[in-house]
Amino acid sequence: MQNSAAIEIVNLTKRYKKKINPTLNGLNLSIPQGSLFGILAPNGAGKTTTIEIICGLKKFDGGDVFVGGYSVKTDIRKIKKLIGLVPQDIALFTSLTGRENLTVIGGIYGIHKDELKSRIDTLLNQFGLTNSADKLITEYSGGMKRRINLIAGLLHAPEILILDEPTVGVDAQSRNLILEELIKINKTGTTILFISHYLEEAECICDTVAMMDGGKIVLQGNPRTLTDSEPGCKNLEALYFKLTGKQMRDSYE
Amino acid sequence: MLFRDIGGIILMFIMPAILVVLMATLQDTTLNVVKGVDIPLLFVNKDNGALGNAVFKEVENSGLFKISTEVEGKVPTREEMENLISSSKYLLGIYIPEGSTDKIKGNVQRYVVSAFNGVDKPPFKEDVTLSILVDPTAKGYFFTVLMGTLREKAQKVQFEFIMKEITKEVNEISPVVVSPTNFSGEQFIIDAKFARKGKSEIAPNSVQHNVPAWSLFAIFFIVISLSGSIIKEREAGSFTRLLTMPCSYAEYLLSKSITYLMVALLQFALMLIIGVYLLPLFGLPSLELGHSYFALFFMGFSAAVSAIGYGVAIGNIARTHQQASVFGAVSVVLLAAIGGVWIPVFLMSPEMQIISKLSPLNWGMSGFYSLFLRDEGIMSILPESGAMLLFGAGCFFLALLYNRKYRMNK
Repeated sequence: MQNSAAIEIVNLTKRYKKKINPTLNGLNLSIPQGSLFGILAPNGAGKTTTIEIICGLKKFDGGDVFVGGYSVKTDIRKIKKLIGLVPQDIALFTSLTGRENLTVIGGIYGIHKDELKSRIDTLLNQFGLTNSADKLITEYSGGMKRRINLIAGLLHAPEILILDEPTVGVDAQSRNLILEELIKINKTGTTILFISHYLEEAECICDTVAMMDGGKIVLQGNPRTLTDSEPGCKNLEALYFKLTGKQMRDSYE
Repeated sequence: MLFRDIGGIILMFIMPAILVVLMATLQDTTLNVVKGVDIPLLFVNKDNGALGNAVFKEVENSGLFKISTEVEGKVPTREEMENLISSSKYLLGIYIPEGSTDKIKGNVQRYVVSAFNGVDKPPFKEDVTLSILVDPTAKGYFFTVLMGTLREKAQKVQFEFIMKEITKEVNEISPVVVSPTNFSGEQFIIDAKFARKGKSEIAPNSVQHNVPAWSLFAIFFIVISLSGSIIKEREAGSFTRLLTMPCSYAEYLLSKSITYLMVALLQFALMLIIGVYLLPLFGLPSLELGHSYFALFFMGFSAAVSAIGYGVAIGNIARTHQQASVFGAVSVVLLAAIGGVWIPVFLMSPEMQIISKLSPLNWGMSGFYSLFLRDEGIMSILPESGAMLLFGAGCFFLALLYNRKYRMNK
């Protein structure tokens, strides 16, 4: 394992009981520290399973995953301190306000009360949610929910931020704000693993992308370099279709 | 978070409170059915002799019944009476046919005369049928209680007849006049009381039975709320976030369990307060808590741990909120039923008595009865509280195991 890798996935395999094909079929991936790394893949390619394994939410059949040098098999508690997950679902307590959610979550991370308050205020301001901080989550719009969901993942200043479709269902303004803030956060040294169906987003913000299909990485590199090296592919989307095809993948697994 | 749902919290405390008050009051009335509840009774006395009048007097003196002798100004026939009772117009009917007194007198006279004359062959006996009709909707135990009461009264009347006839015969052959009044009244004293251990001051009554039983039932209903909360967090995604934080799944479940344990203990305390202070306002006796408050707390704690463990297991194994709420509610009712919350275990069949020992509510009932009815201390409840704590811990580990074996592989 290289010391410079924030996340190192080595020959990872995972097969669900009722599925014909393995979801992860010897996946190898190295995400450098400080990178803004995008994973692009059709439905059922194993993106969410990979994230869940990295975060210790799922067991796997073979291989290993190292996060910050720690193996998920033995040091998951240490890994959890390093990572911040922004799941695809709005993973918040709906009976609480935005501020209360952040206070509960920060408390679990053991952040000191005064520091937590200051951090919450800063992040709420950064993501334009100061005025709605004391409203219940159920009263938030889709874009506001996405932003507070992102703040919840950032609250403990993780070294590695993992985002699963962070801009799904949000308006252009919220989307733009989220992407701009992600670039800023990455510039502070935080490694970001960004998973999205929006290829232009990945092309725009990621310094490295990996395309996944059939449970393994089929292509990896800088978006511009990848498109330039493939004749006839004007952008990442064209390259993506070329590699993964246009056939629906809902039933792949 | 729990306290944000004020409506839910109020229901969690108010519903068990209503349950305890209602069940204690209702069961007090049912258990004390022989103590002054007016049962509508239709009494048709075609006899008009000593027997009919004596039975009527005994029934009237019992204070159990609201007696009617006519319906719409008319004495009904035997058939009319049966129709009225079968249609629940009256709960009970007694029909004494014409000439009953004369027939009994004749039977007794013939028997006594033949006995005094040394005749071996039993004398001719005329059948006398007193009809007791009971509303078909009346419960079995009620039927048994009433039958017992009426049989006792009828036998008392018959005994007095026999005594009179024997006295008459004796007076014919004896130079000394014997009066049946010298042999009246009961010749024995039945001293019936609840057995007490040591210097226990607790008087067993419906409140001492019902408050612990229904409190235990209410504590177990926390299963629905707890399992629902686990599933809701899992479905909403907040569970995923919690699991990515630096705490283990066991810690997550434990912190949730501790919160619900507090709620269950508060619920239990409220039930006891209701038993002590509120039930007397409904004309019921005040709940006596026994001499060991520590034992009481420990038993309540064990019951709460048991219920919470069960709720955690259901919350983990059930796939949806619907599954958890239906299974949770039905299984608690079943465990309560086989555990003896509704029907005392000693009234169950031998097979059911064995099965009832598998219910944690049975262990809880047994422990609570040791404290509330026998006034015992901590040592006597250790087996029951130990079993409940083990059950709770077992369910908790089952939940962890299920999560590790199945949910992390899904």
